[in-house]
Amino acid sequence: MTDAKEWATVSGIPLKEYYSAEDLPDALERRVGQRPGDRPFVRGAYAGMYRTKPWRIFQLSGYGNPEAEGERIRFLLDHGETGFIMEHDRNTADHLYDVDHPEVVARKEDIGLNGAVICGVRDYETVLKGIPIEEVYGHPGGGVVQHGPFALACYWTVARRRGLDLARLPGTGQSDFFLTYLGCVTKQQVSTRVGLRFNADIIEFCAEHLPRWVPVSIAGYNGAETGLNSYQELAAVFGNAIEYLDEIKRRGRIPLEVAARGAGGVNFRVGMDLFEDIAKLRASRRMWSRLLETRYGITDEKAQRLRIHSLTAGSAMTYPQPLNNIVRGTIMALAGVLGGTQSLGVSGYDEAMSIPSEHAHQTSLRIQQILQEESNLCAVADPLGGAYFIESLTESLEDKAWEFLAQIEEQGGFLATLDSGWLHAQAHENQHNEQVEADSGRRAVVGLNRFSEDCSPYQIDGFEGSTGEWENAKARLDDVRTQRSAKDAIAALKELEAACRSDGNVMPAMMAAVDADVTLGEIGNVCRDVFGDWETPIGV
Amino acid sequence: MQINKPTRVLLAKTGLDGHWRGVSLVARCLRDAGFEVIMIGMSQPDEILQAAIDEDPDLVGLSVGGHVDVVHRIIEGLQADRPELPIFVGGAVAPWAKRQIEDRGVEVYPPGSSLDDIAEAACRLTGVNDRARQNEPSV
Repeated sequence: MTDAKEWATVSGIPLKEYYSAEDLPDALERRVGQRPGDRPFVRGAYAGMYRTKPWRIFQLSGYGNPEAEGERIRFLLDHGETGFIMEHDRNTADHLYDVDHPEVVARKEDIGLNGAVICGVRDYETVLKGIPIEEVYGHPGGGVVQHGPFALACYWTVARRRGLDLARLPGTGQSDFFLTYLGCVTKQQVSTRVGLRFNADIIEFCAEHLPRWVPVSIAGYNGAETGLNSYQELAAVFGNAIEYLDEIKRRGRIPLEVAARGAGGVNFRVGMDLFEDIAKLRASRRMWSRLLETRYGITDEKAQRLRIHSLTAGSAMTYPQPLNNIVRGTIMALAGVLGGTQSLGVSGYDEAMSIPSEHAHQTSLRIQQILQEESNLCAVADPLGGAYFIESLTESLEDKAWEFLAQIEEQGGFLATLDSGWLHAQAHENQHNEQVEADSGRRAVVGLNRFSEDCSPYQIDGFEGSTGEWENAKARLDDVRTQRSAKDAIAALKELEAACRSDGNVMPAMMAAVDADVTLGEIGNVCRDVFGDWETPIGV
Repeated sequence: MQINKPTRVLLAKTGLDGHWRGVSLVARCLRDAGFEVIMIGMSQPDEILQAAIDEDPDLVGLSVGGHVDVVHRIIEGLQADRPELPIFVGGAVAPWAKRQIEDRGVEVYPPGSSLDDIAEAACRLTGVNDRARQNEPSV
């Protein structure tokens, strides 16, 4: 290749050989005068940042059955994790199927492979046994929107049964549109309109009962992993937030700034372009602050403060030479920290093969702990603030993100881009280009398209998980069905169906249903009866 | 002038995990290489076996998002119904599971495999020579 290399960020923003004062955005002087914790929060969500509160070490975890999942979570907490995430079996959770649903029975062996099978509130009690959820920040699962209300209701019901005050309970939901409608389109799912209704219901319910809880978390990560580049991810996250806020405003039941506080807990992907991802997190905070102020007139400082969870790109983890992924995890985590994340998850080095083994999980924790405790990274907030390059890149990304958000609005808004498949097409084009770049060697992937000779003395074989989980889950399901009060369960299901058909909030009836031992699949049947299926814009 | 029947590839997802990034990249790459791609999405083992009869494909691609034992069952079924029908597999298949599938004479393309390698495998497994790929846009 004789062409001069064109230097650019992974999203295609051209890069100069060096940056100097003339590259600084006009607003820089004003910005450098700001302190971390000052609006519009480019320099950090909080004054003091990690001196005051180190980022939360927050890893995905779980497999097999509720006992195994609880054991892995307690292992992580014992080894220094400071929050925990419950992963669910995708076969059952994402589709709201009980294990005896024909789709699940057809592939029993898949059950429990990437999360525990959780049929109802009893399984939540098993997972959470011995975990002080009044203190430890928890995420009960509910990644896809149709699963969110069930997962949250189960977790909160466990808290209630323990006599805890829900108003003080810390944690976060997810109910992510990117996972549900863009990255992980399932066989059966509620429509985007129903998803919006569920999420607005959760936001309202939390405003009333769980003020410390992050009701839903918009997960740009899932958009980015599906192909959206950095500024598209930023724009789409805020396009999603606009849908939530417009819906809450239309309903008029809770103050908009309270909803904005809830919606301001988001997540982003941190990938291998270190500086672009640092700039992305910085830009995101300013965008949120500006969006609330200019679009909704919300000036409440708490609402304007965007809190970020960052997750390292699973797609960056290579199948060959997996130990190299420990270095990748470190670099990506560093982007999150230098960008001022509040919370961080690091993918396992065996990510391309399986869910993490115990050892891979421990190594992800150690990466975070070395960054947090050995590297002096917690001493100074926004250490790159004022750097010519970083400030320029922050500005460029933000400008491009506003442009892409305008395109989303031209398409009729975020939900419309999902219903039409417009966003899928954008993502698909990027996926293809990324792959071609790597295949051609123009984008270097060490161990894959160069330096592929491996002299590792270790055979990393991927986590095997557990077997026989279908039978195990079926036995638990049978127990629930025989031991519960059938009369109460039927009555609770009827109430739930009535709530779904009404204009009211679905969460009180969902809480009552899980408390009556109604199962995941029974709730799914109600959703399918009442709401039908989403017309998927892609053929998978 | 001779009109050839297009070479058909049946693509299915074996599990209920909805991630579509891998399989959609493969579908596009095979279409670009001149294959007719029949994408049946998330399918039960029996549905895949039935489609392999109804659609009369020249090759079956299984996108794995679940346990390898399900893949074994599907491969056994396909090989019993149509022993001559080639199969290849892609997805996040752990090395231990990859070895098991390869022991059945089925090729596995884990994450990071190049699209060129996948297209070439499809040509080789279906006996399509390079002539069929002449119209392929260069990547």
